[in-house]
Amino acid sequence: MNQILLITDGHSNVGESPVLAASRALAQDIIVNVIGVVDEGELGLAGAEEIESIARAGGGMSRIVSSPMLAQTVQMMTQQTVVGTIRMTVNKELRQLLGVDSVAELPPPKRAEVVRMMEDLSETTRLRVALLIDASASMRPKLNAVEEAVRDLAISLQSRQGESAVAVFHFPGEDPYEPCVLDLPWTDRVDGLGKLFRNIRMQGTTPTGPALLRVVEYFRETCGNIKEKTELSLPPHGWEDPDVMRSGDVG
Amino acid sequence: MVFKGKWNGNVYRLERLLGAGSNGQVWLASRGGVPCALKLGLDAADLQGETNILAALERGGRNRTPYLLDADDARLGGQDIPFYAMRYVPGMPVRQFVRRRGPRAVAAAGSHLLDRLAELHEAGWVFGDLKCDNVLVAPGGQVTLVDYGGATRIGRSVRQFTEIYDRGYWRAGNRTAEPAYDWFSAAVLWVHALDGDRLMRLTRTLPPQNRHPRELLRLVHTHPYLRHMEIWMRMALEGRFSDTREATRRWREQAVRLDHAAPDGIPGWMAGMAAATLVLGAATAVLWFVR
Repeated sequence: MNQILLITDGHSNVGESPVLAASRALAQDIIVNVIGVVDEGELGLAGAEEIESIARAGGGMSRIVSSPMLAQTVQMMTQQTVVGTIRMTVNKELRQLLGVDSVAELPPPKRAEVVRMMEDLSETTRLRVALLIDASASMRPKLNAVEEAVRDLAISLQSRQGESAVAVFHFPGEDPYEPCVLDLPWTDRVDGLGKLFRNIRMQGTTPTGPALLRVVEYFRETCGNIKEKTELSLPPHGWEDPDVMRSGDVG
Repeated sequence: MVFKGKWNGNVYRLERLLGAGSNGQVWLASRGGVPCALKLGLDAADLQGETNILAALERGGRNRTPYLLDADDARLGGQDIPFYAMRYVPGMPVRQFVRRRGPRAVAAAGSHLLDRLAELHEAGWVFGDLKCDNVLVAPGGQVTLVDYGGATRIGRSVRQFTEIYDRGYWRAGNRTAEPAYDWFSAAVLWVHALDGDRLMRLTRTLPPQNRHPRELLRLVHTHPYLRHMEIWMRMALEGRFSDTREATRRWREQAVRLDHAAPDGIPGWMAGMAAATLVLGAATAVLWFVR
């Protein structure tokens, strides 16, 4: 499962549309979530709208938060995206196999089995999260909070049973041909996380769209054919798991 | 309001709202005149996750009175609301308990809390989201854990946690479910219950890179009651017990000292200052004498 998490405080002003870029990511099975960090003042209507439409096009969610809430929001979004993606996949299977629209329509014993399977998948599925950080001048005072959020996410990913990795990019890059810079290639370790953003040059532009496309490319370069399907099969009929509650057991 | 469960057919009467959280509401209800607590969920898969944990604990528990009574859907306001029914346990959240009964009462409550955690850990689970609001204490000090949304099988990543109780937040470890994860939260819980104002101020002012268990120990060390539990607190924050039974035993050994702690109303530092004044006075007297 692949995710891009865009953290920004303004709106794009150069290059391809970030909304189109996000829909390209989604077409590659990469979900795009967006967090707007606003400490004082407002993001402005245009900024808020852009954040929402990027997330919508990228199949993800968007939030606007202040920097003390950043770590918690990053961790929560990543987790919810994993759970949400697995639920969607499972519900699709349920429709095909059993003709029900969601797990809620199943009788409690069956529901218990399916939910347990969804939780197993959420914990064990392979997960890669690339963070794309807007490092324009107005974001500068928030970069400490961003670093803390990256560290916090790495702790959570490291604690999972499934293979997990995080990578970090910031944008804009040094010159017009480099929309973003890779600060941290895929890692599953927290200990190695030092100062992330040391050499950031001031730049006037915010090439959100091109930067997103560059990250999609990075996924392709590093992960090969990323259009992998979540391995999934419903337990055969009558399959019983000792850890699943049967309603007959209670009451 | 009365309703009948869709699958199992039990009839419940909702009496009053006990509490509401991010993923549902807990009601005091009755079934055939017997009181119980009902958790009504917002999302079927979410609630089923909790029900699964409670059911697994039910099977793991030895000779315990059952806690989970039923799991079903309620037809309310034209839609199916998933719910489960639990045994109703009266009690109040930890902070309220401490306000009412005074700080010395944590000796018994703390030991009961560790008993509950030991049962969970021995059944292969970690509570995860341990915090004041999720621990109910009866007047006698008996403890009930509520809201199992964070309960996680040992070895997996903790499903749900609260920042200031989380050892990852304090840079003291990861979020893999193991008994030590709960010990850490238990230590923070007592700091929060007895020294909440200073703890909150600390979390507001401390830069993230300086978060460390020693900051919590600094609060413990300078608190009139907590300082008597300092050794336990240090071991809990550093995850140094061999198992939760040992944590319980050590708690009991040290909590005895709470009985001799500074009387209510006189903070420890003030008592300390009085002693220092006396010593200074004595020294002056001696100097005066030898002159």
